[in-house]
Amino acid sequence: MIIDMHMHIDDIPALGWKMSAAQCIERMDEAGVDAAAVMTIADLPGINPKALELIAEACGQYPGRLYGFIRLHPWYREQSLELLDRAVNESGFKGLKLHPVSSLAHPSGEDTIALIRRAGALGIPTLFHCGDEPMTTPLSIEPAAAACPDSVIILGHMGGYFHVDEAIEVAERHPNIVLETSATPYPAKIREAVERIGAERVIFGSDGPVSSPVLERDKVMIAGLTPEATDLVLGHNAAKLLGVTA
Amino acid sequence: MTIDGLAYLGTSRFGYELDAEALVKGLERERISGAIAAPMHRVDHDFDRANEHVAQAAAGSGGRLVPMARVDPWDGDQALRQLNRAVVELGARGLFLHPAEEYFRINDARVQPLARRAAELGIPIVVATGYQGFSEPVQITQFARACPEVPVILTNGGQFNISGLSQTDAGLALNLDNVYVHTSGVYRDDWIALVVSTFGAERILFASAAPIMDVRYELKRVELAHVPDEAKALMLSGNATRLFGLGGELA
Repeated sequence: MIIDMHMHIDDIPALGWKMSAAQCIERMDEAGVDAAAVMTIADLPGINPKALELIAEACGQYPGRLYGFIRLHPWYREQSLELLDRAVNESGFKGLKLHPVSSLAHPSGEDTIALIRRAGALGIPTLFHCGDEPMTTPLSIEPAAAACPDSVIILGHMGGYFHVDEAIEVAERHPNIVLETSATPYPAKIREAVERIGAERVIFGSDGPVSSPVLERDKVMIAGLTPEATDLVLGHNAAKLLGVTA
Repeated sequence: MTIDGLAYLGTSRFGYELDAEALVKGLERERISGAIAAPMHRVDHDFDRANEHVAQAAAGSGGRLVPMARVDPWDGDQALRQLNRAVVELGARGLFLHPAEEYFRINDARVQPLARRAAELGIPIVVATGYQGFSEPVQITQFARACPEVPVILTNGGQFNISGLSQTDAGLALNLDNVYVHTSGVYRDDWIALVVSTFGAERILFASAAPIMDVRYELKRVELAHVPDEAKALMLSGNATRLFGLGGELA
């Protein structure tokens, strides 16, 4: 089973991002991906007031294939906590997405910590955009991982272009951190991550549909993992995090 | 035929290395005809020796490697002499500039003499792109605008941000007719398709950026791109052949 833990559905003309559920499914089929975690690219509330409904509707359209992650803005603390509860308890969302570039909310800020802890209490992981911009680097996210040991924190892009070594180091220090492989261009670093933190803590993502799930899947294959580790990275770990049968 | 538009050779003071034998083996494994090879920034900062090393590697590669010169603009007239020598005596087919590793701003006026010399020598300039403060796509736009007769090739699709935040700026650079981009590290395949459909397939080239990036993976990036076959042919070899003036080399 292959599960893509990082796909997007949204329509934000200003960023050149327009992605539908049908596009995600098409690209998943192209890559033999069975299921995917889907999220918007702008935050709820604030500039994306219909985000919960948009993702819930997409997941409803493709049951068993798309699983929702709710992307929230930490500054709207009480409202966001309420939306998180609602998304998980009423709409079956499986994860929380945080993107400090769009929210300008630091990962270690109190509002963010409150959301991560609530996600942990609800039994869902928190996926951070983790790249090269200020507030998104592994070392910026590390204090949040330390403050929320009972919450699983996924470092999306595992440090991007320039912070991959730091992502692996931070994951070595915090067992609640999982590395997600999308967009970063270094197959060898996926292998290194598996060797250093274990295959159980590395998961496949594509950042599709504008990135290619086929190419991103092949990156994991090129990494040269054992067949067992490949299975874990491509799907089994994600199935566990999503609470679905692999 | 497939040509890798950029690979680095030597031992870098920044912690990476690749020798000609390993590079050629990697190319053969992926059925790549050859590569345009640029020197790394040596520990001793001796770009004359670095250029010689790559020229020698190319000469001994059985036609697999074509050398590119690398100089440091802070070296002033010496950099101009090194560029001349690399092209005229050592057979370099392009100039490689790495603003982040040599610590200069690409749009600093002091870089322009090198651009003018590249124009006189009839060679393109490849710029390691996307390093904040050194080679942002809009900074390279300013640089390229000042030397319209020189093809300026931006690595990494013209931007190096995992959120694609500089993609629009890379598009602004591509509005100039003398700007081209490499495919290395471009994580959005819709960007590759967009460059082809908006600016033309002759504006984008396959490059692996080995050993920093992975030859096999970077080649797949192009092979899987959602662009017409004719566009892919240009990306994989046609554009490099034209821009670097390759005749029978790498065939």
